[in-house]
Amino acid sequence: MTRYAMVIDLDRCQGCRACVEACKVENNTPQGSLWMHVFRLEEGTYPSTTMSFLPRPCQHCDNAPCVKVCPVGARYKREDGLVLTDFDRCIGCRYCELACPYGVNVFNWSDPAEHQYLDWDDPDLPDEVRGSVPPWHNPDHDVVHGDEQRRTSGGGHAKGVVEKCTFCVQRLERGELPACATTCPVNAIIFGDTDDPGDSVNAEIARGDAFDLLPEAGTKPRVHYVGGKHPTRSAREIERVEVEV
Amino acid sequence: MATTQPIHHRELAPQEMLGRSRIWTLVMGLAVIGLVLGIVSYARELTGGMVVTGMRDVGIGGGATWGLYVAFLIYMMGVSFAGITIAAMIRLLKLEQLRPVGRIAEILSVVAVVLGGLAIIVDLGQPLRGLVNLFRYARPQSPFFGTFTLVLAGYGFASLVYLYLGSRRDAAVLAERPGRLQWLHRFVASGYSDTPEERERHDRASFWLAVGIVPLLVVASSTLGFVFGLQIGRPGWFSALQAPAFVTLAGVSGVGLVIVLAALVRHAEHRSDVLTPAVFAWLGKLMLGLLFVYVYFMAVELVTATYAGSEADADITAALLTGTYAPIFWTSVAFLVVPLGLLVYAALAKRWSIGMLTAVSVLVNLGALGKRYLIVVPSQTHGTLLPYGEGSYTPALVEYGVVLGLVALGVLMIGAFMKALPVIELQREEEVGQDA
Amino acid sequence: MRTVTRRRFVQGTAAVGGAAATSKFLFDGFDTVARADEVVDAAMAQLTEDVVPTTCWVGKQDCGMLARRVNGRVVKFEGHPANPLNYGTLCPKGQAQIGAVYDPNRVKTPLVRTNAKGEPGTWRSASWDEALELVAAEVNETRARNPKLVLWQKGRSKAKSFYDTAFVKAIGSSKLGHGAYCSDTGYRALEYTIGLHGVLHPDFRYTKYLLSWGWNITNAGGNKFCWLTWPRHLLAARERGMKIVHIDPRLRSAGPFADRWLAIKPGTDLAFALALCHELIANGHIDEEYLTTYTNAPYLVEDDGMFHRGDGDEPLVLDAATNSFVPASQAEAPTLRASTSHNGVAVKTAFEVFAEHVEQYTPEWAAEVCGIATSEIRRVAREYGEEAVIGSTIMVDGVEVPYRPVSIMAYHMVQQELGFQAMRAMLIVSMLVGAVGAAGGQFSDKTWKIDGKYTSLDEVEIGDGPYDFTLNKSKFYPINSGHPGLVAKVMADPERYDVEELPEVAILHMVNPLGSFADQDAFISTYEKFRFVAWIGPWISETADYFADVVLPSATIEKYEGPMSATDLYVDAKSMRLPPMEPLFESRGEIDIYLDLAAAIGVLEGEDGYIAQVNKALELEGEFALPLRGRPEVRDIFDRWARAQGIEEGLAFFEEHGVWVKGPVKPTKFYGYATDPVFGGVVHRLYGESLARYQKEMKARGVDDLYAVDYTALPMWREPTMEQSPGDYDLYLISYKLIEHKQARTSYIPLLNEISPGQRLDINPATARARGITDGAEVWVESHNAVTGETRRVKTVAAYTEGMRPDTVGMPHHFGLWTHPASRDRGPTPNALYFTGEGYTVNTADQSFHVKVRAYPEGGESA
Ligand SMILES: Nc1nc2c(c(=O)[nH]1)N[C@H]1C(S)=C(S)[C@@H](COP(=O)(O)OP(=O)(O)OC[C@H]3O[C@@H](n4cnc5c(=O)[nH]c(N)nc54)[C@H](O)[C@@H]3O)O[C@H]1N2
Ligand SMILES: Nc1nc2c(c(=O)[nH]1)N[C@H]1C(S)=C(S)[C@@H](COP(=O)(O)OP(=O)(O)OC[C@H]3O[C@@H](n4cnc5c(=O)[nH]c(N)nc54)[C@H](O)[C@@H]3O)O[C@H]1N2
Ligand code: SF4
Ligand code: SF4
Ligand code: SF4
Ligand code: SF4
Ligand code: SF4
Ligand SMILES: [Mo]
Repeated sequence: MTRYAMVIDLDRCQGCRACVEACKVENNTPQGSLWMHVFRLEEGTYPSTTMSFLPRPCQHCDNAPCVKVCPVGARYKREDGLVLTDFDRCIGCRYCELACPYGVNVFNWSDPAEHQYLDWDDPDLPDEVRGSVPPWHNPDHDVVHGDEQRRTSGGGHAKGVVEKCTFCVQRLERGELPACATTCPVNAIIFGDTDDPGDSVNAEIARGDAFDLLPEAGTKPRVHYVGGKHPTRSAREIERVEVEV
Repeated sequence: MATTQPIHHRELAPQEMLGRSRIWTLVMGLAVIGLVLGIVSYARELTGGMVVTGMRDVGIGGGATWGLYVAFLIYMMGVSFAGITIAAMIRLLKLEQLRPVGRIAEILSVVAVVLGGLAIIVDLGQPLRGLVNLFRYARPQSPFFGTFTLVLAGYGFASLVYLYLGSRRDAAVLAERPGRLQWLHRFVASGYSDTPEERERHDRASFWLAVGIVPLLVVASSTLGFVFGLQIGRPGWFSALQAPAFVTLAGVSGVGLVIVLAALVRHAEHRSDVLTPAVFAWLGKLMLGLLFVYVYFMAVELVTATYAGSEADADITAALLTGTYAPIFWTSVAFLVVPLGLLVYAALAKRWSIGMLTAVSVLVNLGALGKRYLIVVPSQTHGTLLPYGEGSYTPALVEYGVVLGLVALGVLMIGAFMKALPVIELQREEEVGQDA
Repeated sequence: MRTVTRRRFVQGTAAVGGAAATSKFLFDGFDTVARADEVVDAAMAQLTEDVVPTTCWVGKQDCGMLARRVNGRVVKFEGHPANPLNYGTLCPKGQAQIGAVYDPNRVKTPLVRTNAKGEPGTWRSASWDEALELVAAEVNETRARNPKLVLWQKGRSKAKSFYDTAFVKAIGSSKLGHGAYCSDTGYRALEYTIGLHGVLHPDFRYTKYLLSWGWNITNAGGNKFCWLTWPRHLLAARERGMKIVHIDPRLRSAGPFADRWLAIKPGTDLAFALALCHELIANGHIDEEYLTTYTNAPYLVEDDGMFHRGDGDEPLVLDAATNSFVPASQAEAPTLRASTSHNGVAVKTAFEVFAEHVEQYTPEWAAEVCGIATSEIRRVAREYGEEAVIGSTIMVDGVEVPYRPVSIMAYHMVQQELGFQAMRAMLIVSMLVGAVGAAGGQFSDKTWKIDGKYTSLDEVEIGDGPYDFTLNKSKFYPINSGHPGLVAKVMADPERYDVEELPEVAILHMVNPLGSFADQDAFISTYEKFRFVAWIGPWISETADYFADVVLPSATIEKYEGPMSATDLYVDAKSMRLPPMEPLFESRGEIDIYLDLAAAIGVLEGEDGYIAQVNKALELEGEFALPLRGRPEVRDIFDRWARAQGIEEGLAFFEEHGVWVKGPVKPTKFYGYATDPVFGGVVHRLYGESLARYQKEMKARGVDDLYAVDYTALPMWREPTMEQSPGDYDLYLISYKLIEHKQARTSYIPLLNEISPGQRLDINPATARARGITDGAEVWVESHNAVTGETRRVKTVAAYTEGMRPDTVGMPHHFGLWTHPASRDRGPTPNALYFTGEGYTVNTADQSFHVKVRAYPEGGESA
């Protein structure tokens, strides 16, 4: 069997947010919807200042509070470790968002089709582009995925539903790595199958400095971190993104 | 004519009693306006998306994803719980003194359930899907299921049954008299004719229903508390006290609303004969007890949050005590503590003035609403466990509009009931006799 | 190219008819209630998918990319796995550029201005023919009188710029680069001193001790590269144990990667470098062999600062082998340190002069100037000297080269008043330990190739006026490589600079002076003076908005460009930008535009015509040469080039593989010590005799000290002119790039604006609080020109950071644009605060990104 996991190497991460952008383009998420977030953090006072970066996708928890609270089973856990959202079933109660300790869920507050950055309704765009919103619309998101045959990939599907990182289920099905892991300029995101002993992700998880985010929450994440350290409460976020929903 | 029975002046048909009340007309008029505003607001939310509300995503969205609606929902669930509990207690413990407010409590409970249910719907991003999927794909494991299905179904069903059982008898009495609403009374009475045997069966059914309801109530209310209390991802909510505290505050606000309604009825329908100061004194004492317990919980919570809480809890506490939420927090506390003081004074002085009680009730309800708001919101804006900076949430006009509409709807429902059926149980002949 | 046909496809929604319409109206989104579980195998839903190679259009290193296309529509760019620059990865800009390609706000057709210049433009569409004719007529009108009065200007060039320089040559116009903005001071210092066209970067494969000197590690390029290749090298080196000392007024540039952070006071790098030299000499960390063999350190210098040449032309040295004075090239063992006399003339070796010169620059002194602890300066000098393991060698791919695993990375930071000499001093630090061109040591260019400027900068013939409008060979700026900022100053006041003829027609290509160049005001008044301005670009830039008469719409990524280097320094490779789709709207690729322009102007064909120039620039000879008659197809040009390189398939090779990986770069190509001749055969100029000569000539022509003061043979500290601003301008304003943006060009991409939303003033919280400036609140920043007294101010928002020196504030580049809806209202550009010219630039730079400012909260004007 396959059980996916991600390891993020904080000794390598440049805080560049390429992962954020790759995710956005791959998953067609609308404006204001960032499934990956990269914290840029600062601690201490001048001159004893330290800085750190922390990329934060959905943790795909094995003991996922978001799954537990979903009243309709739109949020569910798969055997391969993925925590997915069936956007056809989601009723938009946002309970998952509330229950998640990591703040990774994104609600479609407005109509996503009208919230794709620019007005793409341009008659001068070539035929094959016109009508694709956004123009980089990825057709993988129109189809069902997995044995469960549910529509779970991509973002910006409907007003009033919650979406979040899918571990790029559509790419995994194509035999590709998640978009963020692929693009990372310094290969700080390692993705693989923990059930495959030969997969390099296992060696990373076994590193002595590996840790999980918010272990006290008991969520058993499938995203692990190596290098660096868990952010403390005194870390201040600098260069915050400004989402407009 | 069949009507040989003398009609006690206290047994005027409801519409006849209200016919003389200008207050009723005024309140109903305002409620209609409120309802229209609510509908307009909700239409905006439906067409524009929930972006028209003040809610935003938790985390980088810098907001609260649950806001006024959920605060209102929790408040309403509390009211409904209190209403049905009072109704059950009256029957279970045979609290005859409180009988006159029994129906008020039942009505309150039903109305609160309806408003709570609607508050859930207006809070959904996909309301129509919600109506379908919540049943089609119901997951009892979800605490949401607890709030929605158990509470709604449990409270709603129980209150409705009570209301129905009680009203049936009154309807049977009224159905015998001609009037514009005779058809309705006949319909409600549906064959019941208030014979002693029937009455006997009625009383037994009510009692056993109450026996059955109590555990359901406890379970349902606790789940509601646990919706918040067991949420590890939300600092400020992971508190074992939540469920009991929730239930207690629910009691406080419920009793308060019963008092307010009772005072209104007493005034609008001139029923100082049944709604005697003694009834109010009883309710006052009940509230005093509950409020005392709640204030104790509040103190404990504060102490634990300030001294033993996690860093995230401490941040929330700071936001509550001295930060963004301090105004709401201290106002709410004052609205709960000052009434406690007044009630203690009243108890000591043994003087339960109805005016004071009504004022106290309004205050504690505002306080309770404030507290519900403060359970829901700050832990989202100030309690994120990862270092997302501070968020903020201010309800948008649309949300106020919708909530106003819901309240207005509640008022209309109560008003309509008052018009249609006696809001105070018709007294039974032998009782009337005893009374006279 | 890989093609997949997809069948499994689902119809989006299930709802039908009027009911659907109603529900859509009322409850938008409800129509997806029903699970879309009918998997239809509809032929109409068949999609054709393929992947084609190209390169990044945003950044300056042209990372390799693959474009995933669905029915011919690009849906995603990914890194090209085989391209050594990026090995399958992309930075945020590389990812987000897809948002720019389809941008409906691009220029769709050629445009002709319909309103007066100097204000936001109004336009009418024109046909290509009309627009080209218009430009051609204006160009020819001026060309007929003096072709040099046609000014062609390009900014941050991409790929090999053969097609545009061919145009410049064909029409004989003047040419302006973006010149001084990247690191003009740095380039000139390196060209002059060691003959390489580049600034400073390490040999990451071996280096162990890195001075990251104003390197914006986690955001920007450093020397030569755009970005992502450097952090990849850096991490590899770090995982091997390399230590990083970060010398920068702010920490954010290095983020978590600084092992030590020396928060230097802006503009004092020269002092710091001189103190390092002082310490290295004091500690004996001197590579005598290198200095005596490859530099002019042993040359004898007379009291007047000129070399001692005896009776000949060549400088003399004291040959220790024979204890005699011989021409430098004939000495067996030149003496490094000596103070003696020859034929009655007192002489010292250049090194002796240098050693005596740096005596005064003690760590204590520098600590005061730079705001860095004395102990830190000593420690860096000691560690750097020790880690250099002077005298050691290492075998690299079978070649033995000196091993000096200490290095510096520095680039844009030297755009400061004293930048040229600061860079010389920094390079001398490296020279003292013999790290230049050594394994693990100091690199500058991608290969060890001697630039013509090594000689020309040494032989500038300063003339008397009148000068041309670039002030070439002038008494004001003898070291000069055509600076837009300088031209702006000249156009504003030609008499002051003894200039008679000003350019009349400007063709602007990929350059947005109003957005990117400081000082903005100077450019606004300059472009007003052009009779005619043509703009070539995918958007109406701010400059075009105000001043263009004609706009020629160019494509973004949908065009051919190349060839481009794809080497990561260690693996040699070439790549090509190939159009992943047809140019959108009516835009055209630049090469097409230049071909068309050349034809319209009438210089396309013939011996010195455009095509001939293209042949020359691409070295297309014999069978590969383009016929000089007829307009060539762009693809054909590159096809010929590829075949000329020995690639049989021609361009098809790139269309198939995207990148041509030639294999490892031989050590003999990039270790200066290993090239033949060593260091390309040039003598390294520790001592800049010609600089001292220029100063004499400048002074003889009576220029103000402001211009001449830093033309000294050895780097010499003085206080930057900005320090003369009044005391209440108590903060230094610096500027830098953000990782999410590329110059001004990505501010049009809303995907990037979302994660890097707008301008801000990075400020130390203590500094801010003392001024009543709260985090996130509006703040005024007001600059002062120490020479003219002019003040300028802009309003932005404060961003607290403990990673900033308390006496320094910073504003990133990239913002302050207004023509595109996505870039509007994102705050001001710091370039509205900077000054160019006197007091801010000396030897070469026409731009320093330093100025003294004061900051006060909105509403606190009277402060
Ligand atoms: N993301 C991104 N990458 C880019 C670009 C871009 O626009 N965006 N542009 C590319 C281009 S054209 C260039 S030229 C390169 C530039 O690449 P870099 O030179 O690495 O970067 P800049 O941001 O220009 O550098 C300015 C750095 O110098 C520091 N600094 C400022 N004043 C001083 C000083 O007086 N002393 C010292 N020691 N440090 C100082 C600043 O704090 C900042 O860290 O980047 C290239 N890469
Ligand atoms: N404050 C501050 N200012 C700075 C800097 C700084 O660090 N701080 N850095 C400086 C540096 S190092 C540099 S290199 C300069 C860069 O300055 P510029 O070279 O002016 O900047 P760009 O934004 O790269 O490009 C300018 C124009 O080219 C257009 N363009 C983009 N792509 C294409 C294309 O494919 N074809 C054509 N024809 N046009 C295109 C864009 O629309 C834009 O209007 O900025 C300098 N300015
Ligand atoms: S792409 Fe890689 S280096 Fe950049 S922020 Fe994401 S994880 Fe860090
Ligand atoms: S990170 Fe949050 S959304 Fe993701 S699986 Fe865990 S609880 Fe659920
Ligand atoms: S918002 Fe959707 S996915 Fe989340 S809990 Fe509610 S129904 Fe489930
Ligand atoms: S795994 Fe995919 S969906 Fe998740 S953050 Fe990475 S790119 Fe986005
Ligand atoms: S580093 Fe530069 S060239 Fe490479 S992907 Fe990023 S922007 Fe493009
Ligand atoms: Mo640059």
